[in-house]
Amino acid sequence: MQSGRGRPRPRARFLAHRGARVGVALVAAVVLFALVGPMLASHSPLASDFVRGIGDDQMPVGPSRHFLLGADRLFRDELARLAEGARLSLFIALSSTAVATTVGGVVGVLSGYYAGTWVDALLMRIVDVGLAFPFLLLVLAIGAALDETSAWTILAVLGLTGWLGTARVVRAKTMQVKALDFVAASRALGQSTWAILLRHIVPNVAGPLLVLATMSVAQMIVAESVLSYLGVGIAPPTPTWGHMLFEGQDYYASAPWLLLAPGTAIVVAVLGFNLVGEGLRDALDPRAL
Amino acid sequence: MRQRLARRLLSALLIVWAVTTVSFVISHVLPSDPARLVAGPQARPADVARIRTQLGLDRPIVIQYAHYLARLAHVGPTVADGAPVDPSHASCATVGPLHVDLGTSYQQRRPVVAILADRLPRTVFLGLAALVVQLALGVGAGVLAAAKRGSMLDHTAVGLSILGVSTPTFLLGVGLQFLLAHKLRLLPLDGFGRTFGEHAASIVLPALTLGIFGAAYYTRLVRDEMLDVLHDDHVRTARAKGLPERTVLTRHVLRNALLPLVTVVGMDLGALVGGAVVAEHLFRWPGVGALSVTAILDRDSPLIMGVVLVTSTAVVLANMLVDGVYALVDPRLRQ
Repeated sequence: MQSGRGRPRPRARFLAHRGARVGVALVAAVVLFALVGPMLASHSPLASDFVRGIGDDQMPVGPSRHFLLGADRLFRDELARLAEGARLSLFIALSSTAVATTVGGVVGVLSGYYAGTWVDALLMRIVDVGLAFPFLLLVLAIGAALDETSAWTILAVLGLTGWLGTARVVRAKTMQVKALDFVAASRALGQSTWAILLRHIVPNVAGPLLVLATMSVAQMIVAESVLSYLGVGIAPPTPTWGHMLFEGQDYYASAPWLLLAPGTAIVVAVLGFNLVGEGLRDALDPRAL
Repeated sequence: MRQRLARRLLSALLIVWAVTTVSFVISHVLPSDPARLVAGPQARPADVARIRTQLGLDRPIVIQYAHYLARLAHVGPTVADGAPVDPSHASCATVGPLHVDLGTSYQQRRPVVAILADRLPRTVFLGLAALVVQLALGVGAGVLAAAKRGSMLDHTAVGLSILGVSTPTFLLGVGLQFLLAHKLRLLPLDGFGRTFGEHAASIVLPALTLGIFGAAYYTRLVRDEMLDVLHDDHVRTARAKGLPERTVLTRHVLRNALLPLVTVVGMDLGALVGGAVVAEHLFRWPGVGALSVTAILDRDSPLIMGVVLVTSTAVVLANMLVDGVYALVDPRLRQ
């Protein structure tokens, strides 16, 4: 795609986008925390410290020298758990987004290119059914079949349900591109379907797909934490942000840090990816102001 | 028109059927023993076996599935008021001779149709309350932001909107609960209440939680859509005619900008009626969403199936509604 004369290129526009810059900073902070966080913590995420973790009132201690973010209800180091949760959240969100984007992209392009044929009809009916399907049930079923819900289970479920919306958007975009003259021209020149798909369609839907993928990372972080929060996520004691929040909510009066720490982490990560996504959309959209 | 409606109905039915079938398979291959659940932990093996036969769980899954579909909608004796009910139709809901039977919950030991009949109205009320909040807040903020684009107000609205969509509902819910119920003690913490007044007080927190989250999304949608329409020729014409800005914004811009909102509202309506799982769970609002969590954690397959049926029907009906409303608002789509 070419940018018009005198108009900044997408990269420059992205870098000039105030929201995008904030987003990049937030995402970088979360990634850095996931990498460095465990080194800052004094304990392992699963270890209970019954000596220094218990305060005078028999409650978990608040933020202190030994526990930078306080101790949780089992007197474990909140910071260590938060950092471990960050690794897990990012890993699950990024990998499930990769799965969802690949599947959604392929299905969307094929469906859009063959719009009106049985291929399109079949794929879109699958999408319809998938969107009407309660995904909690799917998580539980896969979890039960595998005996225990692990990070891989959640990754698979999120990846296999997350592509539905992507496929719809990519399909619409593909249909737009396909109707353009240069596609008709390359067909008239005798290019094969594969060549048209790979050289003309895919590069033109790649922009919207990148935006969708970025925002999908944000949604996946939320989805993973919702599942943990509802008790069908990754089995404890593995620390996840959603489960930490679930455990923390009963202590919001006595130990608010147990709610604030995972809550802030989720919002910062989700906000970061959403802002980057918006920045990308505005930078890539030729109509953007 | 009528033919199109018939085709839509048929495809809607097919979707619900497909969802039901997949759920049936999933919930019946879950490694749990419903017979033991029903019999209780103290039961002797012989009793468990007897109950398994009674429930038909010893038969192949295909037979069980055929039986489920046959019972789902069947013709049975018309039940007169107060007349004794035939035990073989004890778990049916009847409309004249037409019976709907979704089986009996393993855990609650009540007909699934009766449980759903209790739960569904509460979820519908919550969904509608949430929708009112998000439309009022979202459209209001979106219109203001677009009218004063570039201003402090606009920046604040856009900022709050993106922060709002980035805050998971359970976090927002816990925050509101802490502030309004725990600190200020204005509202009950959670639950449903016994009287109408208590119901009304209890619905506020979950409705606000869902509504604020939705409003964040609507604000942005309405604002961006209005800014898009503002560049249209017909808006320039309207301004050139000398119409006051207020009239231009409401008559010429907002009406067009609201069109994409129809789709979103429809999808939200379907999702909300299907049960706002997180908000209902968090605030212990006894609706379909909270029920689905319990049913799944209990491995209560008849109840799971009932919830799935309601949820998917709500989504599919909402989609149909959107199409219908589109045809009404946009004459171009009426062929």
